[in-house]
Amino acid sequence: MPTITLAAAADMRAGTIRRWRKNRGDAVAKGEVLVEVEGETAVVEVESTLAGTLTEILAGEGKTVAVGAAIATVASTDDKPAAIAVAPKGNVIPILMPKAGQTMEEGTLVKWHVAIGANVKKGDVIFEIETDKANMEVEATDSGRLSRIVLPEGRALAVLQPVAYLADNDADVDAFIASQGVAPPPQPSPGVPGEGETVYGTRHAASAVVENGRPKSSPAARKIAAQRGIDLAALSAGSGPGGRIISTDVPLNVPPGKSAPAATAPAGVTRKRMSQMRRAIAKNLLLSKQTIPHFYVRLTIDADPLFAFYQAEKTRYPVSLNDVVVMACAKTIMEFPAFRSRLENEEIVESPSANIGVAVAMDDGLIVPVVMSAERLSLRQIAGETKRIAAAAKSGKIEGMGSGVFTITNMGMFGVEEFGAIINPPEAAILAVGTAREAVVVKDGAMRAGRVMTMTLSADHRLIDGATAAKFLARLKLILESPSQLA
Amino acid sequence: MVVIGGGPGGYVAALKAGQMGANVAIVEKEFLGGTCLNYGCIPSKALLASAELVHRVRHAADLGIEVAGQVSANWTQIQARKDKIVQTLRGGIKGLLGARKVTIYSGRATLAGPGNVVVDSNGKSESLTASKIILAVGSVPSRIGGWPTDPNVVCTSDEALHWKTLPKKLLIVGGGAIGCEFACMLQPLGVEVTIVEMLPRLLPNMDAQVGELLAKIFAGRGIKSFVGAKIENLSVNGPAARATLSDGTALEADRVLVATGRRPNTAEIGLSSVNLIVDRGFVRVNDRMETPVKDYYCIGDANGRCQLAHAASAQGVVAVENALGHGIAEDSAVPNCVYTFPEIASVGMTADEARAKGRPISIGFFPLSHLGKAMAVADNEGFVKVIRDRENGRFLGAHMIGHNVTECIASATALLHQKASMADVAQTIFAHPTISESLKEAAEDSLSIALHLPPRKMLRVAGGVA
Repeated sequence: MPTITLAAAADMRAGTIRRWRKNRGDAVAKGEVLVEVEGETAVVEVESTLAGTLTEILAGEGKTVAVGAAIATVASTDDKPAAIAVAPKGNVIPILMPKAGQTMEEGTLVKWHVAIGANVKKGDVIFEIETDKANMEVEATDSGRLSRIVLPEGRALAVLQPVAYLADNDADVDAFIASQGVAPPPQPSPGVPGEGETVYGTRHAASAVVENGRPKSSPAARKIAAQRGIDLAALSAGSGPGGRIISTDVPLNVPPGKSAPAATAPAGVTRKRMSQMRRAIAKNLLLSKQTIPHFYVRLTIDADPLFAFYQAEKTRYPVSLNDVVVMACAKTIMEFPAFRSRLENEEIVESPSANIGVAVAMDDGLIVPVVMSAERLSLRQIAGETKRIAAAAKSGKIEGMGSGVFTITNMGMFGVEEFGAIINPPEAAILAVGTAREAVVVKDGAMRAGRVMTMTLSADHRLIDGATAAKFLARLKLILESPSQLA
Repeated sequence: MVVIGGGPGGYVAALKAGQMGANVAIVEKEFLGGTCLNYGCIPSKALLASAELVHRVRHAADLGIEVAGQVSANWTQIQARKDKIVQTLRGGIKGLLGARKVTIYSGRATLAGPGNVVVDSNGKSESLTASKIILAVGSVPSRIGGWPTDPNVVCTSDEALHWKTLPKKLLIVGGGAIGCEFACMLQPLGVEVTIVEMLPRLLPNMDAQVGELLAKIFAGRGIKSFVGAKIENLSVNGPAARATLSDGTALEADRVLVATGRRPNTAEIGLSSVNLIVDRGFVRVNDRMETPVKDYYCIGDANGRCQLAHAASAQGVVAVENALGHGIAEDSAVPNCVYTFPEIASVGMTADEARAKGRPISIGFFPLSHLGKAMAVADNEGFVKVIRDRENGRFLGAHMIGHNVTECIASATALLHQKASMADVAQTIFAHPTISESLKEAAEDSLSIALHLPPRKMLRVAGGVA
């Protein structure tokens, strides 16, 4: 069914729907005004280019749409919707889960980039999938209206199975699906590098299909089943082609009385799927290290006053040395806007407050809860906050996720002298703090026993230059060496 | 509490602290009232009033008044009137401070370690201690490095407000508020004025149409503007200055006014003694006016947030409330006025700023040429423009140029402060006939419901088909 799009008028690049003059189901004549759209300096009336029935309004009142975007669908009187209901005549094109590479068995749909009703053009990225090897964006290889999505986000499907259908009319899709058991398979085309045989309409067998003496199953399904202690042979036929068991067919728990023998593995080698947390760490830090031009600035401070101050404060309330560093950083960040900035496209977005992430080690990874607006808190409040958010994080609730501007990671408690950290995107910098260690301190030509502490700043060179980083550290040093002002 | 600086930020902070019961002292190195009263807002407005009267009298025939003989301006008398106003107001501030039991120290203050301020006056030095210190040290006009410094030829606004004689030909460097006000003031007094602005229009920080209309009005009066132009070289030879623009144009003048902005006055106040550092000269603060060093606050021009007297006063109150334990943050719309004739005023976002934030906007526009009051006072050049968020209906900003608009901006500011919708603005009843009612008209225009304008431009297009 054709859609009406917002046409360009004067210098309008986007318009906000002001009022629909026609409602869904109204008959429209060619040249009749469908809708009033508001631009910056004018109101634009959009006429129908077709005669027929307004079947769907795609942009409601108050919504802003770009020129060229679909705003309504009109069933032209040239269409014959009555006939469609009986025998599908319209073209229906299934979009298939692509088979990207010889070993790919199935893919998980990560994200749909288009919504139902949208017009898809050949070459548009329409969805994103995840395989056991990679994430990839899938382009349409045909154009048309996305009529139905059958695979929602987060679900897996075997390769070359339909995930959605392109069709002008929704009824066509129903008829197509209903008829697919008997109809000859359509040309496997969109979204798919056509590889291998496509099987449509296979009915699931009652029990698992056996092939070469074992249940027909994907490697991913076998792996998951082994992890969950499930015997594939005990399952019914899968939803993959030819009844193949795919990962989503494997139940979460062992069905009663169907436990598998203990999984066998080569001696000494264990294999397990990455946890959600490890995958998040991997993804985030890989992105950081690959896309952020890191540079590192290191500075050692005289930690005697800091240590004495911390010891004194600790007699009054529970506080850590790191809390003092958090507070000093908050003060310093407020003086250096670059340290509370992030990049968004080509814009530098500056946060008004010093929301500081504090890295917390976990059994299998780490998390970074955030002390919000640390610049407004007293040391006692910061000490309370870091304790509270670390405890909350360990029980699964990470506070301030995504609102941090700067992270502090401290390995002082392990005796680490100094280390460099990877920036936690989209932040501009991270400070790695070593232990406040005993050392010979040389001052004014004389040696004495004292304490020093080394801090390494990793900064994003797109936002921060060397001199700025140096000034930042110098300022931080100044504050940490006279910490009484933090009391 | 010690407040350093007696300008509109500092003296208001001191009054507020006095009102709240603090033991407060204020230190001022020169005159109470600071730049605003002594070198800025007030004296320039006094001079502009004289200039505008000359301008109006020259056009008196438009209102049916015949003036016999030559109208001439007596610069000495104009200056004397201005000086008297400034004197009166200084006395007023002193009286107010006394009434709040604020101790006034005349001298130069220097920070001398935590909680200490040293005041030097006439070779004597006195030490003050305070638990809270507010820096309200202001700014000074910036000069251009490498240029001749002969104060009789190359001046800033500080000198220009006290000129004994007027130049014949004046070159103004910088087309911002200060440059435009001086141009507007001096042209009716017989000075041949040329403005050179580096950015592509006059008043580059304001709505684009405002600066463009002002340049057109100025051109009609014989004030020349070179915009998007840079002075490559300036030389002074005796009483004559000669400037060369990057395109080779040579400009001659017998005086040059450098109006390229103001820089914070933070160099010699002992910031390092309390570990305070500056960023391009500014002492950075958060929205509670707190510096990174506990118990030190900075307000006004020196913190770089907004170089306007009324912003400094508002920040002074915020700083004092926070220093005395009431947590409040600066969160108000700040109007910005330029006192040329016609006047210019704005508050909130410009269309460009809203677009840059990705907001879909609608622009309402009302020309003063349509307005009864503007015609009645024979001053109908200008317009009022408002910016509305098309999606949430919010009133985002107002931009005005025309007769008395610095008074009209108050209603727009009040509505913006209350986070009004544009419908709220349009539904407010404004008195008729006034210039301010054009704000309502513009609001209605942005909603396409204006009655005193022809129907809003309505385009008609055929929808695309996909």
